[in-house]
Amino acid sequence: MVEIVIDEDACVGCGSCVEDCPNDVYEMDEAKNKTKVVKVEDCMACLSCHEICPAQAMEHQDIHVAKRLYIDRRVNHVLERII
Amino acid sequence: MAIEDIKGTFKPELIPKETGGDLDDYEDALHVLMKFMGSMSSALEQVSGRGANAIVYQAGKRMGHESAKMMDKTEDLEKALDEMGEVLGHEFYFEKWKPADQNSYVTQNENEVTVKLLFMDCVVRQTLRRTGLPQKGPLCYLLYGYTVGAVEEVMDIKGKIDIDHVGPNACLKTLTIKWSGK
Repeated sequence: MVEIVIDEDACVGCGSCVEDCPNDVYEMDEAKNKTKVVKVEDCMACLSCHEICPAQAMEHQDIHVAKRLYIDRRVNHVLERII
Repeated sequence: MAIEDIKGTFKPELIPKETGGDLDDYEDALHVLMKFMGSMSSALEQVSGRGANAIVYQAGKRMGHESAKMMDKTEDLEKALDEMGEVLGHEFYFEKWKPADQNSYVTQNENEVTVKLLFMDCVVRQTLRRTGLPQKGPLCYLLYGYTVGAVEEVMDIKGKIDIDHVGPNACLKTLTIKWSGK
């Protein structure tokens, strides 16, 4: 079962994820001006919300993470040394 | 990085046993192919406009028919999808998907049946990300054609795929099978 964690401190309340999600998983919490998860059971883990979120305020847990073979492994090795 | 020239002895019998490269070589080859595919798709779209999708869809469909020729024929959609999974392989890993309030994966409308497929792993998506191209372009249509071709071959019936949503981690598509058409 997918679990979505919203970092309320990071969320800027832009509502981009609400607009972008095809399955209406999110809604705006008008009182807090933050995003809230309302239909997690319909989340298909496409991660469009991650891509559009300017604050990287969300985390999806227990999902199938697609292979990312387009990433150059040599770049990864360099990054590992820096980070 | 300097390119090293590796010397060795060539014997014809080594061809099926030795590939002459390691994982880094495979990675390089994959990325070059991704870039080639991306450029080709982008140029095709520039020259042929929306017709590019139709051309590539047809190419994919032919490929799907060819790949599924050895599969068992069936009229059972579930079994056909399993076989389609075998044809597409791990690099196009997909599952059936439905909204939580829907009872069944398969919905029947008059003479057609639809099922939503969630493509999670996809080499096409990775190629597009490698080359910075948008999704839903000709390369995506190659995969749609491939999928439809495989289903048509296994079920001996007409099918089509529509894009519901594309994302960086998964894409949702609707497969429609028309019982009346062959």
